[in-house]
Amino acid sequence: MRGVASMSVTTPTGAARRPARLGDAHPLVPYLYILPFALFFLVFVVYPVGFGFYVSLHRFDLLSDTQPFVGLEFYRNLFDMSTPQAQFFWNAMKNTAIFTVISVPLLIATALGLALLLNRPIFGRAFFRAVFFLPGVLTVSVMGILWRWMFDNQIGLVNAIQTELLGGQPIPFLSTENIAWIPIIVGTVWWTIGFNMTLYLAALGNISQSYYEAADIDGATAWPKFRFITWPLLAPVTLFVFVTTVLASFQLFGQSLVITAGGPNRTTQSAILYITEEAFSNNQFSSATAMSFMFGLVMLIFTYLQFRIMARDARGEA
Amino acid sequence: MRKVTLAVTLLGALLSAAEAQAQSSYKGPKVTITYLHGFTGADRPVMEKLVQQFNATHPNIVVRAQGQPWGTTWQQLPSLVASGRAADVVVINEDQITNFVARGAVSPLTDAELKTAGIDKGRFYGPLFKTADYQGKSYGVPISSVAYVMFYNKDLMKKAGLDPNKVPQTRADFLKAAQACTTDKSGKKPDEAGFDAKNLDTWGVSLYNNWVGSRAAYAAILQNGGSLVDKNLNASFNSPQAVEAVQFMVDLVSKYNVARPNSTEEAELAAFSQGKVCFFPSGQWYLDRFEQQKMNFGVAFMPRVGGTKQDAAWGGSSHLTLPKQKANYDKNKRAASLEFINWMTSPAQNLAWTEAGSLPVMPAVAKDKKFEGRPIQGVFEKLGNIYATSGFPWGGQVLGPFDNAWANAYSGKKSVKDALNDGVTEANKQIEQARKSFR
Repeated sequence: MRGVASMSVTTPTGAARRPARLGDAHPLVPYLYILPFALFFLVFVVYPVGFGFYVSLHRFDLLSDTQPFVGLEFYRNLFDMSTPQAQFFWNAMKNTAIFTVISVPLLIATALGLALLLNRPIFGRAFFRAVFFLPGVLTVSVMGILWRWMFDNQIGLVNAIQTELLGGQPIPFLSTENIAWIPIIVGTVWWTIGFNMTLYLAALGNISQSYYEAADIDGATAWPKFRFITWPLLAPVTLFVFVTTVLASFQLFGQSLVITAGGPNRTTQSAILYITEEAFSNNQFSSATAMSFMFGLVMLIFTYLQFRIMARDARGEA
Repeated sequence: MRKVTLAVTLLGALLSAAEAQAQSSYKGPKVTITYLHGFTGADRPVMEKLVQQFNATHPNIVVRAQGQPWGTTWQQLPSLVASGRAADVVVINEDQITNFVARGAVSPLTDAELKTAGIDKGRFYGPLFKTADYQGKSYGVPISSVAYVMFYNKDLMKKAGLDPNKVPQTRADFLKAAQACTTDKSGKKPDEAGFDAKNLDTWGVSLYNNWVGSRAAYAAILQNGGSLVDKNLNASFNSPQAVEAVQFMVDLVSKYNVARPNSTEEAELAAFSQGKVCFFPSGQWYLDRFEQQKMNFGVAFMPRVGGTKQDAAWGGSSHLTLPKQKANYDKNKRAASLEFINWMTSPAQNLAWTEAGSLPVMPAVAKDKKFEGRPIQGVFEKLGNIYATSGFPWGGQVLGPFDNAWANAYSGKKSVKDALNDGVTEANKQIEQARKSFR
């Protein structure tokens, strides 16, 4: 980088006299800079997306001699409610939305709460930070099995407390509609809270203590200090956490797969879980690819809306 | 593990001596064949040992084995076959085989070929061999097999006044035994006044909500003369025989109170390990666990709870197949592969393979002295009555809705009839679409 830049600065006329040499002025240079990334982008993003779109328009099977063109049949299926695809896909989309709407506020609020607690000079602060961060290093299968056991219909720890301590009947968490979300959401919060918490801790550390000292002099109590100093100054981080958590929640897959297998009756089946079923259990690759594009489109709309909000907020701050 | 290795080594020493003299069906020039399998757990060293032995006893064939997770193979096989780069021999499981066959990924094994290689269909359990058959042709030779069996707790049976050496065989006997095993927390029996079905201390049989649990319904349906799919390979598990059979399984929970409602496989496994339940139907793969636990238990074939038409239980299996290859594929490789398949599925090798946790795939191996007195021998007599969920190219489309139907019926969310009808409706809608992929 620097070599190229300095060369063009010290010999401004060199490039003109010897056009074969690649100075900054050479029209190819910018393209050479982006070439390494562009190669990866083309091979791992553009080509698969293009190929995927081709697959979604054909009845595609590598083992077949012909790949008949079917046009938008697999997309139309998603809007014809008599097909299982439409029924299960939109049901899975609804489930994914439910999960996102419930888990995102929880993941932000609890992460912020923990960060506020652990930002104070309490005993064992580093230890507790590590404790809350550690679950995040587990794989989803370990985390899933753990929470499936905790909420087992009969022998789970939660039901042991319910029956032995509270004297009630065991609650079949894993096989009751709606309630089956509890193990998935509690497990997800436990699993991913550390990341958001760490982001908040870093942001809290960047807030100058002088604001709080000034507020103390004015006689402010804890709540106004949070409401008028901490919360506004955390806004950029909150926005970032919000956007990344929403996107991560939409990707719900492993937790549903391991804890409830999408059950009971597909009520916890996420979009990606259903797309996987259609592709690898039903061997309907083209149909699954069409669903992926539909899912991607919905994600794109959400991301667009989020960027709009981000842009508005940036203007508001300026 | 050490036990396994030692046994294999001893066996290997014995076998290689005998094998060196055995006639190989392959007389051609020296060839190298590739062999792709999914035995990547505790069974990997056993398989590697067998391949080594084969190479040692077959100077003109070199087998290069590769083990990778099953799922990876299912995803890669289509593109490998399409580009003519598939391994010479690939192991495919019972839940995938018909789909791959119907899509043309696997080549049929002709009678002439089988004969030349010395592979006699008759040496295997009939239904097990037929698992890899499709439209009258054979596509694979069974190498490994697991099954849904019924574990029983001898101590608890004794306590309940039952003869632990006499496992119930019929529906009526089974119900009676299950009732004898069931007691609530205050010591009352199901037929006594004030019996509290919600607080069982011990109970008769483990039923549970996942796919393994649904294999109880599968066994019952087959026993009653029903089936998962009809002649046209459409889902048919809502036939009157199926409804009647599954109804009895559900009645065990809701009517007779001899099984827990809303239970999970983990919960029932724990209960059986703790001696709280007499009969635990599940995969034979739990055998090791109970043996290590030094439980006083036995293994029996699934009793005829569903009906009296036939003995039946679910089984899973792995089959040695020859994928479709390029037009100019070396004939010697195919002949050598068939020799490899024959050797690998011969009694001596299959006996060695059972150390990896497989059931025998042929009666000759089941008769071996090694199994005498072992609990698993309890099912050997009926290994020929084990039926895999294969034979239709749309496995996922049938089994997904079937497992779900069982979960709904078992939990009481739907009546048995509604649960099975809804399952069949869903399955057939999906099959109708899948059919378009198979011309």
